[in-house]
Amino acid sequence: MYIYLYDTFLRERRYWSAVKAIENRLTDFGISGKIIRLTTLSNAYGIVDDEMRYGAQTVVILGNDETFGRVLSRAAECDVIFGYLPVDDKQTVAQMLGIPGGTEACDVLSRRRIVELDVGEVNDRYFISQLQIRPAILRAEYDGQFAVSSTGSEMAMTVCNLRPFVGETFVQRTRIHPQDGKLEAFVQPVTRGGFLRREHAIPASVFPFREMVVRGREPFTMEMDSVISKEMAVRIRLAPKRLQMIVGQGRMF
Amino acid sequence: MQEPYQEDDSVETVVGPSVHVEGNFNSKGNIIIKGSVAGSVKTIRHLRVEEGAKVVASVEAESAEVAGAIKGNVKVKGTLELTSSAKIKGDVQAATIIIASGAALHGKCSMPAMDFSVFKEDESESVPAKNKKSFPVLKEGEEPAVV
Repeated sequence: MYIYLYDTFLRERRYWSAVKAIENRLTDFGISGKIIRLTTLSNAYGIVDDEMRYGAQTVVILGNDETFGRVLSRAAECDVIFGYLPVDDKQTVAQMLGIPGGTEACDVLSRRRIVELDVGEVNDRYFISQLQIRPAILRAEYDGQFAVSSTGSEMAMTVCNLRPFVGETFVQRTRIHPQDGKLEAFVQPVTRGGFLRREHAIPASVFPFREMVVRGREPFTMEMDSVISKEMAVRIRLAPKRLQMIVGQGRMF
Repeated sequence: MQEPYQEDDSVETVVGPSVHVEGNFNSKGNIIIKGSVAGSVKTIRHLRVEEGAKVVASVEAESAEVAGAIKGNVKVKGTLELTSSAKIKGDVQAATIIIASGAALHGKCSMPAMDFSVFKEDESESVPAKNKKSFPVLKEGEEPAVV
């Protein structure tokens, strides 16, 4: 049984035709199912957990990358197969997963090419694509073995699982793979100076890891799959093969 | 059917400039050090210490290329290459060592994998120190004894 989770913005008139076309396509394939409209206060884990009790086997997210990140940050621990139908321009994650936009995404969904993906776990929440920590004075302890800090400046950090890291001055050539059994942390010291005290990034350091604790001298801003929060200390660890996901043939891993 | 993931050998750990690493720094992939490291560095693959990098640690690697400064013992299974800007203060052990002119090495240097059996005959032929007759030392104005 299929469950479709619709994001709030899909109520806007400009998305009606796109959603209608997708619904028709799903009916053609015979994979239409129950529709649940999310609100800003919806608890994705609670919804998915409830529906699993009534026999839901596949949960499909309709929306954009933000919807995808918001739903899976809680629901990734549910033992159910997830699908994704992007209905917006913000669909970097969809591209990585090989899911095209519009009604073609329904074809990918109907083919049910399922892969198990690693996810990152941060203080009982999950991220699939990327986690970013804005420049701050940080100290990171990797796998309980060594600690990394910046010599006298703030540093930004990006932890990648699915989406590759793209620096300001160069594209990092480290391959990111969501099935390799590790996460990659890109640490980039930042110096401020010059006109308007602009930030100047220094080439990034790369540390593959399974578990890391990041502590800040002051609260730092963290963005996890488009979900922003303020943290003082976070434990980031790998949850291997946690997520069962329907992907397209043109996936980038 | 899910395709199995194949491990990529090119995965590297990079310690960039302005980054300081402290502790036991172990890796299964290649390591590039451009910043500073204190503690120990160990990898089963290649290690590259770039110019300007500072390592105060014992180092173990399969092969290594050093252009920066290392204070600590270096143990390499394969080839250790020191470029002209390299500075090492500590004992070095490797199967093959390449030292460019200008490199500084202060410590014991050993190559355990090399075959030194060619010197065994010379050692057996040479007279042990105990049996060696020492030549008499003459003081000023003393005549040598006639036998």
